[in-house]
Amino acid sequence: MSPGPSRRRRFAAGMVAALILGAALSQWMLARARAQENRFRASRVAVVTVSALAEVAERAGGTGDGLRRAVAAFAGGDSSLVAARVMVLDGVSLEASTAPEDRGEKAAPRRLTQDEKPIYDQAQRLRAAVETNHQEGAARKPEIEVASSASGGLSLAAPLEKDGSVVGLVALETTPLPAAPHPDWLFSGLAVVVAAAVFWLMALATGERRTMLALVACLVLVAVMVVLGRQAFTAVSGDRRATESAVASAVTAEEGRAAKALQEVAPGGGLKPLQPASWDADLFRRPLGVIGADGKVDQAKFEQGLAAGASSTARVIGAIAVVALALLLFVGLGAASRLGATISKHHQAYTYTFPAIFGMLLLVFLPFLYGVVLAFTDSSIYTTQAPLSQVWVGLKNFVDILGDFHIAKSTAAGLVWNYQNLYWTLGVTIVWTVTNVAYGVGMGLFLALILNTKGLVFRPIYRVIFVMPWAMPNYITALIWKGMFHQQFGVINQIIQMFGGTPVAWFERPATSLFACIATNAWLSVPFMMVICLGALQSISADLYEAARVDGATRWQQFRSITLPSLKPALVPAVILSVIWTFNMFNIIYIVSGGDPEHSTEIMITQAYKFAFEQYRYGYAAAYSMVIFAILLAYGVWQNKVTKATEGI
Amino acid sequence: MKQRNSRLVICIALGLLCGVSAVAAPPVELVVWHAYRGGEAAALEKVVAAYNAARAGAGIKVTTLPVPYDAFADKITAAVPRGRGPDMFIFAQDRLGGWVEAGKTIEPIDFFVDQATKDRFIATTVEAMTYHGTIYALPLNYKVLTMVYNKKLVTKPPKTTGELVQLAKSLTDASTGRFGVAYWYTNFYYHAILMNAFGGGVFDAAGKPIINSPENVKSVELVMKWAEKDKFLPAEPSTVLVTSLFNDGKAAIVFNGPWFLGEIAQGVDYGLAPLPTVDEAGGKPMSPWMTVEGVFIAAGSKNKDAAYDFVKYLTDTPATKIMALEGRQTPANKAVYLDPQVAADPILKEFRQQVEVAVPMPNLAEMSMMWTPMTSAMAAAVQKSATPKAALDKAQAEVVEAVKLLRKQR
Repeated sequence: MSPGPSRRRRFAAGMVAALILGAALSQWMLARARAQENRFRASRVAVVTVSALAEVAERAGGTGDGLRRAVAAFAGGDSSLVAARVMVLDGVSLEASTAPEDRGEKAAPRRLTQDEKPIYDQAQRLRAAVETNHQEGAARKPEIEVASSASGGLSLAAPLEKDGSVVGLVALETTPLPAAPHPDWLFSGLAVVVAAAVFWLMALATGERRTMLALVACLVLVAVMVVLGRQAFTAVSGDRRATESAVASAVTAEEGRAAKALQEVAPGGGLKPLQPASWDADLFRRPLGVIGADGKVDQAKFEQGLAAGASSTARVIGAIAVVALALLLFVGLGAASRLGATISKHHQAYTYTFPAIFGMLLLVFLPFLYGVVLAFTDSSIYTTQAPLSQVWVGLKNFVDILGDFHIAKSTAAGLVWNYQNLYWTLGVTIVWTVTNVAYGVGMGLFLALILNTKGLVFRPIYRVIFVMPWAMPNYITALIWKGMFHQQFGVINQIIQMFGGTPVAWFERPATSLFACIATNAWLSVPFMMVICLGALQSISADLYEAARVDGATRWQQFRSITLPSLKPALVPAVILSVIWTFNMFNIIYIVSGGDPEHSTEIMITQAYKFAFEQYRYGYAAAYSMVIFAILLAYGVWQNKVTKATEGI
Repeated sequence: MKQRNSRLVICIALGLLCGVSAVAAPPVELVVWHAYRGGEAAALEKVVAAYNAARAGAGIKVTTLPVPYDAFADKITAAVPRGRGPDMFIFAQDRLGGWVEAGKTIEPIDFFVDQATKDRFIATTVEAMTYHGTIYALPLNYKVLTMVYNKKLVTKPPKTTGELVQLAKSLTDASTGRFGVAYWYTNFYYHAILMNAFGGGVFDAAGKPIINSPENVKSVELVMKWAEKDKFLPAEPSTVLVTSLFNDGKAAIVFNGPWFLGEIAQGVDYGLAPLPTVDEAGGKPMSPWMTVEGVFIAAGSKNKDAAYDFVKYLTDTPATKIMALEGRQTPANKAVYLDPQVAADPILKEFRQQVEVAVPMPNLAEMSMMWTPMTSAMAAAVQKSATPKAALDKAQAEVVEAVKLLRKQR
């Protein structure tokens, strides 16, 4: 097979695939962005309206016929409103409504009916939100709620205030949103066709050189993406301009309507003046400030917003370009055809492993990926419903975790350690792991050597006894050991007292507390190592020892030159595994010391647990887990390199 | 192969049958999750059966599903916001704030609850079910700490801490391991009986931590005086230790909750009495924290009106009478204590008396951040590695920091 023509054709195929993918993705993203802007525009205009209505209702006293006349006048002049409502919590009363279904028997004022519970709940929610934000001095809970209405419009609700406290809500429903502009498929289709043709012509000129072909292909693709990006930016910035002018005209219009509505309440005036500058606000009722007090667009602020939009467009298009480039190279450099060939050649193997692969993807990789994504957010119990993009903080969690070097503080009383610090916890974890594994291996080997003695009486009984710790659930073991370390009634202190010592308060100091945990886990980790060693010992041929004895080797020499090397292939993987297990041995620390005193004996995995489920900082805890994963991964790679132990397994 | 096929057919047929029977079920079926076992579960079943019999005409049927307690809250947190899970569930108030903050988990029921319904409960139990001014469940029962004493050792239960100290000191003998009083005083939940007596607390009305308030410091100082100077408390207390001391007759008085009564060994003649008043706090009574179990409606329920009907029924007098007498619960319903059978029960009567001075445990989500720093602070103070003030200052700083990191501005 001559590689020449197939190479060029491969690049052409890759080019077409990448172009189609890039163009389709960018058109799709653009369409989404424009639809979002369309909705955003409608919602910002509606926020202006609902804020104006809330102010009218407040000026009108929140109740009575004056209010009803004002609301009717306000809503009557606005063709974009389907309904406006005012509801007061006290008495669960619908005070005013212009909704078509609230006429005749159901005309306001009346008590809410059983199926209008959501309105009441919404009012309670807004009241709680305003109070919470006020108490915390922060903007944490939305004070204006925006949702899609059944008819395809928006339904909004804002708190109704009286003397500074929330007494109910004003709500409105808008007519269906205008349709979002359609994506320009013709333009992008044309771009794809032209670019493909240009590439083919250039490829004919380039010949069969692989690097050149790749270079040309990349250049053409990047050029197309730049063109598509410019088109997207023009469309998006046009939309933004339209939004700002729509909001500016809405502020002016609502001001007129509100003033007219207030005439219904107090024909001679005398009410507090309206504050239209505060109407264009975010959902926390913080004024956005793009529309000035004069009702005009503040150009400087607008340009600032536009620049931010441009950079986000560039980011999205850039990301799409990267994906398209990857596809181009994947196909062009031949990886795709190789993958196809393997799959068709070994299709039976792939069929058989498919269930396992699928299961792993679903149960292992998906949650893992979710954890990775979570690590870049500051998701917490307060933001579980928020989309990830809203809580995205980039590398902040990692910077906070890894960049915090306040490990200790020197005070008059000596060093005071910061036990919540990563490096302290890492130190404890390393001490914990090394001690446990060293003891496990040493003691396991020692016991295995004894048990391996020929002609040992009652060997099966010893074996059962030594394997016992392994057979017991370690949860139970940990609880028993915790009891044994009790200051007053624990058996260990009883023994110390029997020999005249003073009882030790084990969990009051970091060192003794960690010792208690290590003692527990050491007891647990011996049997595993012992079983591994025993198995390996029994597979060593007796001839080797006999030959060594004939040569006059001592017992120690036999051990050094025969036993240890023969144990190595079994022992090294066991040590690797054991290090990883011990590093993440949650149960023992959690149960025995629980991190006492003051989180000082926490190992990394229990610390991560506490961040997640005691402090509810899910994002931070996920980042912490990623750090653990990185450490173990690095350790595993290093260990593998050093020992080459898993070769051939 | 043939056999396998026929098995497949049977399986499909069974599946179809199940499907058909599900379609034929009554129009409204409500599921309630609970973590009860033994007598409590049986009592609940009895109430549910009575309810189903009463509502058979309306086509409403309630079924119960016991869920292990350890997994309960996490199951609710995971299942309900995703549209699965029960229509109702029974749980204590400690997770309430977290569920409200997370959203889409529990349904506010303010709209349903009228004044008459509210009035049938002990007021503080309704308060426990209220978060930022909105009621989220009707209270079913409460648990509070009280004083349990060994009648052989204590003839007249102390009414004040002065009497308590005097009596306890006379009953303590360190050489034989006898103690006048035993309770888990290093555990913050137990310590709260003193903290609340002094008028302290962990969060103020606006949800700000007030762990190092002077009242809290005074309360820690008092318990340290008991442990260090008066020496009538055992060192390193725990539930297991307290239970074994009491059962061996080595602790005359313990402060413990209703769960403790089941662990008292046969042959120990015990009595209950309200916790004494605290002389050091100007004669205010020791006020235990109250945990209240409420019946919640899941946000995902399709039949909230019907669910509320059951919630109301379950917390009404006839149902709570069954829960009290057969399930050994202490009901949050006031009227049930007027029933002669309930009134004749010394235990229920005593807890009813004790709950009068109890304080609902805060249901803020931030409560969970408070336990570890408070446990450390209590330990540091009792072990004298820090003064009570310094220990509480440290805990305050930690909690403030944790709260600040959580409540980030959007």
